[in-house]
Amino acid sequence: MYDLLIKNGLVVDGTGAPGSRADVAVKDGRIAAVGPGLTGDARQTLDAAGRVVAPGFIDPHTHFDVQLLWDGQARPSLEHGVTSVIPGNCSLSLAPLKAKDRPALIGMFQQIEEMPPEAFTEAFDWTWEDFAGYRAAIEKSLSINVAPLVGHSVIRLWVMGPDAQQRAARPDEIAAMQGLLRECLEAGAIGLSTSFVDVDENARPVPSRFAHFDELDGLCAVLGEYGRMLQIVPEFYDTDITIARIDQLAELSIKHNIPTTFSPLFVQSQNPDNAPRAMARVAEQFARGARVWAQMQTRPIDISFSLLRPSLFFAGRGSWMRTLRQPLAQRIADLKNPETVARLIADAGPNGGGSTFGGLIVRGGDEAPADLVGRTLGEIAAERGQNPAEALIAISLAHGLDVAFLAAGRGHDSTQIIGPMLASPLMHIGAGDGGAHLASFSTYGDTGYLFSEFVRKAGAMTLEEAVHKITAHTAEVWGIKDRGTLKAGFAADIVVFDPDTIDRDEEVPVFDMPGDGMRYTRGSIGVDTVVVNGQVAWRDGGYSDSRSGQICQIN
Amino acid sequence: MTNQPAHIVSAQIVAGHDGEAELSLSIRYENGVVGQVTLDPETGFDVMRACGASDLAGLQGAAWRDIQKRLEADV
Repeated sequence: MYDLLIKNGLVVDGTGAPGSRADVAVKDGRIAAVGPGLTGDARQTLDAAGRVVAPGFIDPHTHFDVQLLWDGQARPSLEHGVTSVIPGNCSLSLAPLKAKDRPALIGMFQQIEEMPPEAFTEAFDWTWEDFAGYRAAIEKSLSINVAPLVGHSVIRLWVMGPDAQQRAARPDEIAAMQGLLRECLEAGAIGLSTSFVDVDENARPVPSRFAHFDELDGLCAVLGEYGRMLQIVPEFYDTDITIARIDQLAELSIKHNIPTTFSPLFVQSQNPDNAPRAMARVAEQFARGARVWAQMQTRPIDISFSLLRPSLFFAGRGSWMRTLRQPLAQRIADLKNPETVARLIADAGPNGGGSTFGGLIVRGGDEAPADLVGRTLGEIAAERGQNPAEALIAISLAHGLDVAFLAAGRGHDSTQIIGPMLASPLMHIGAGDGGAHLASFSTYGDTGYLFSEFVRKAGAMTLEEAVHKITAHTAEVWGIKDRGTLKAGFAADIVVFDPDTIDRDEEVPVFDMPGDGMRYTRGSIGVDTVVVNGQVAWRDGGYSDSRSGQICQIN
Repeated sequence: MTNQPAHIVSAQIVAGHDGEAELSLSIRYENGVVGQVTLDPETGFDVMRACGASDLAGLQGAAWRDIQKRLEADV
């Protein structure tokens, strides 16, 4: 008897092959059979008529390291069809970490994840120092599969202490790091992450940025013993340096026979050659035999700001810049001054900032009244008989300036350019940052957006190609064993979704972080059922109590 | 060759990876090549201050070497 039988769906198996009407049978957490008209009893049968049945999606770039300690479902990733996540990116993981170094790492995590301090003091007990201990801490209550990276910064911190953020390592310290990395890989780490960009809460470079090449080379030699991944954050704000990093990754990949990946890679309207030049270099290096995967996110980038602190959003308008850079008390006084307001409105552009401010969306999660959240300044202004600039000032003043506004789709938003890049066999879809930037924007639902924007709307890839990119392709790139394909014997990670509606929902603020901390999140649309290792983890809009997630095995 | 020192030819605001507005500068170098550099908010404000610019238009024509000198002097 099967444990689960999913019948009548369009099976898109993750390989990129055309979908076909078939059933999927599950037993003991594994796929037992895939084929048309499967017979046999099952403890649970689901009718997937009109739906796609696909392998669970794999998210290769997340920062769920902390959240997994109290939320084994990695909400809301699971409800989007994501059944496996890779945390520990950008040089930061929660292990290995000596107890005395916890405050230092908390600062770095708070900078990247924007998580409230209570997340580190109230939500879990620090029961570990080594990587195996962290693995044990999350493993007991996982609903989602996890393939954790170990962070270069914490390896440095362990070996060098405070010097990790001050200097290059000595040969003996590099040797110690190699031993520690080996220990982490033995304990299940899928690879090593490093960063050439990130900073801590005091704007100091994270420890990995103090490493010289010989240190990275030495660590990659250890990765080579296991064939594991090196992930880096390159200087993505500069194309030439990014290309230099691609070359460096290629050398390491060839020398140590390891896969490498860099993230993020953006399509930039102000620098349109950025992504094409980087990808051309990636192609050159693949032709040499290197494995250097670029990672690109599907969603566009928004700009978010409030009048509480200066934002370059106003840099095109001098009077706004001058006013908003005043100390807070003076700034509020100026914004209440009719003469200043008249000058600001005059400098806001035609129709009181109709084109500049009219499309701004009032965000929640702060002091903004609920009746304004999600609406544009243009709508609100028209309702009030104001122009958008007046409305911006009035709404901000009425709430102590603690109202955030969103300028949507201001970067990485050219579907026509991004679509073919995402479809490229050399591009790795990821870089979504799930679990990070909590108080700035939602990092969830990029898979739904892939289908809605790039499959249905733009036709940049077929349904089967899109499924392949976020399932089997990801598993192959990272060497994740027996996942990513609907095939007998593979882990039964399955998502059932409506191909006509699957999408990400609107961004909303929620207060579900420890200490009632706020984050922006998005629910899923069109995802019916998510199965993790044979157990239904999400169905019809609700999470189950299943705890079937595992630490992923690596090839 | 332009024989002009490296200078800012245009500036615009772009969306940064972390959701903040960032400053993107086009710089024409002595050899005539135009390159792009994107600055995070803190650095962007510093550059505007170093140029005495109250808006983006005020950045145009600013010599890159002068900006660097002023920034180093601030440090």
